[in-house]
Amino acid sequence: MGAAFVVGVFGVLILAHATYSTIHYRELLKIMEEEFSGPPINVLFELLLGFVLCLWAALAVPGKFLSILPHSEENRIVSLPENLDFMIFNHRGKVFPTVTDLKLKH
Amino acid sequence: MVSKTEQTQLERLENQVDNGGGGAWEYLCLVRKLKVRRSEKVLKHGLSILNDHRKRSSLGSEEWTLYEQVAVAAMDCQCLDVAKDCINALMKRFPESKRVGKLEAMLLEAKGSWAEAEKAYSSLLEDNPLDQGILKRRVAMAKAQGDVSGAIDCLNKYLETFMADHDAWRDLAEIYVSLQMYKQAAFCYEELILSQPTVPLHHLAYADVLYTLGGLENLQAAKKYYASTIDLTGGKNTRALFGVCLCSSAIGQLAKGRNKEDKESELQSLAAAALEKDYKRRAPATLSLITTALKSLKVSS
Repeated sequence: MGAAFVVGVFGVLILAHATYSTIHYRELLKIMEEEFSGPPINVLFELLLGFVLCLWAALAVPGKFLSILPHSEENRIVSLPENLDFMIFNHRGKVFPTVTDLKLKH
Repeated sequence: MVSKTEQTQLERLENQVDNGGGGAWEYLCLVRKLKVRRSEKVLKHGLSILNDHRKRSSLGSEEWTLYEQVAVAAMDCQCLDVAKDCINALMKRFPESKRVGKLEAMLLEAKGSWAEAEKAYSSLLEDNPLDQGILKRRVAMAKAQGDVSGAIDCLNKYLETFMADHDAWRDLAEIYVSLQMYKQAAFCYEELILSQPTVPLHHLAYADVLYTLGGLENLQAAKKYYASTIDLTGGKNTRALFGVCLCSSAIGQLAKGRNKEDKESELQSLAAAALEKDYKRRAPATLSLITTALKSLKVSS
């Protein structure tokens, strides 16, 4: 998780740097009195890289993926939980009680 | 729902805890999460945490959940003294709680003093007449006393109010099956399949009921539900594979005069092949038994 988090921070920094470069570029254009048609190619590349890094970090940092039970290859439902709300104590355990000397001490 | 990885995790933790490898609290949490009934082990390991002052205080407020879990486990093992002590500790902490009140009534149940337990439940219901847990306890109490028809009445009344409660539908279905009232059980399983369509075990149980009912139409439906169980379990359910074979054989016998069986013959031979493969892998010693059994059903090619 640590490495993925660092990568995420790095991605955000790259995105911030791309923003800064674009603003800088527009100011430059204003001085040169030219029209702004789009950011330069290296900024576009930076944007793409930052986006991919952030995406990867967002998928990796929060935790593992859970399987969708009816579709996963290995992890299917194998049994139902016991119906504990309807648990009854009047079973054969009453006739053969577990011999324990367990006690709650305080 | 207990999935394959959760089951292996539970088994691993159980082994580890039984051999003194620690991780008792994780084990107890998993038992609670998966709702499995491991009362003896919960009692043993839960008490060892509760008796260790340092471990107990490190749990923080989870301590009280553990008291409750151990109390129920102790009742299930008929260690009523331990249950009483746990409930007293909870009582001291939460004097007015309904949840503790329910535990006390359950203790009366475990002792077998039904009239007093009934009285306790009624007084709890007076404050909150729609408490699902307590209404369910009443059903369980009727069942524990052997009054199955009373339990059915009670459950039906409960299900009129709480129709979405699949646990209750499942319990009702199991009661009906135990009484051999298969038509009613089939209705309950239909409800279950509607509410949880992705759980293969409901499909399987419904198919079993239909197969038991018999008749050509029911058998054909049963075969379909066995097939859907195979689909949902990825072919890992042996019972469903056997079900398909048995259904096809029974359908073949019933529809002897009519010769339209060729259409579905592929499914049963595939199921038979899957069964043989499974037996070869997991129990090679019994492979000859299964081959003769499948031959006598005339399903294997």
